[in-house]
Amino acid sequence: MGLLARVAQQDRAAFQALYRQMAGRMFGVCQKLAAQPELAEEALQDAFVRIWHHAGEYHRERGTPLNWMLTIARYRTLDLIRARKVRRTAGDDQLENVADDSLSPLDASMQADGAAALQGCLEELSDTQRDSILLSYYRGLTHEELSVTLSTPIGTVKSWIRRGLQALKRCLER
Amino acid sequence: MKRTPERIERLAAEYALGALQGGARRRFERWMMESWAVRQEVWYWENKLAPLADAVPEEEPPQRVWTAIERRLWPNTVEAPVRRGGLSWLWAGWSLVATAAVLVLAVMLVREPAPQAQGPLLSGAVVQPDVKDPLWLVAETGEPGKLRLRPVAATAPEGQHDYELWVVPADGNPLSLGVIPVGKDSLQITLSPAARAALRASKTLAISLEPKGGSPSGAPTGPILHITKLHELE
Repeated sequence: MGLLARVAQQDRAAFQALYRQMAGRMFGVCQKLAAQPELAEEALQDAFVRIWHHAGEYHRERGTPLNWMLTIARYRTLDLIRARKVRRTAGDDQLENVADDSLSPLDASMQADGAAALQGCLEELSDTQRDSILLSYYRGLTHEELSVTLSTPIGTVKSWIRRGLQALKRCLER
Repeated sequence: MKRTPERIERLAAEYALGALQGGARRRFERWMMESWAVRQEVWYWENKLAPLADAVPEEEPPQRVWTAIERRLWPNTVEAPVRRGGLSWLWAGWSLVATAAVLVLAVMLVREPAPQAQGPLLSGAVVQPDVKDPLWLVAETGEPGKLRLRPVAATAPEGQHDYELWVVPADGNPLSLGVIPVGKDSLQITLSPAARAALRASKTLAISLEPKGGSPSGAPTGPILHITKLHELE
């Protein structure tokens, strides 16, 4: 928080320190989403340029500084993926795995960590709800892409996500 | 689309998740701009979903990412790495300038007296968004091949540096037009036939930061600070 406040006052040393602290976490997320190092690097660059200019807009309601910065990096990566229409091809390992019902779309440890992080609430969702939400979050798949990936009509996919998010909210607020 | 609380709740969740895209995403961003309550709903979801990002393993970005960030934010004070030859300097400069939106192009409004039957003259401005006036105005005056560069809001480079002006050909190496001034004095440049032909074709000029007196090698060595496209005056 201290660093971000200093960055808002155009403190370059603080900015560099912030980069050293956070860039690894952010880059991990960008890479996961983009699955393309170049695009992930560009998104990370853009995110930090944005953070330099907008640090003053951060406030507590937006989460921890790390979460705020991760969100900026995620959105920027999604924008770039979609602007470039970069998409993993059907031959992508991950997507092949998804199509195969016997395999989880995400590696198991990550899914377990995610579930734990969300206070076990992901466990309460149906498999299809959970998978479509996690694929959106980690892989940036849109409704259309989910529909293709999961060989399911788009309306069904939409309702999985919608209901899944509703159930998640109910659980998180208990 | 009506902004019912249910709809806001659903779209905010999908927005934070990343599932909204295209027109729907942009529409929702407008809602966010207009309403604190909508933004709060998005923040709620961003925070709730944030733990999912904790499960992603950390990955150290390559050093060049930080270098690129510095060059985008502080192009005047950060030295560019030595270029590797070819046109890579230009692309580095392009992304530096274009992506950072340091530069927007503007048509110069002042019309120079046009001579007869010599084809349209080129004209343009080097501008920077946070500076109200253009940094330099540049125009062919009187006849094609005679450029006049007039500093307006350009400020002297830091340290022992000069600005150098280049014609960027459609392909091939940039051609130096020499070191350019800041302050009150305009610079009159007579283009060589080669530079003139290159500029006719590409209409593109670049300004780089060089050691005092200009590039020692005849090719840009410092960061490309500005790239500007000239326009034809009818």
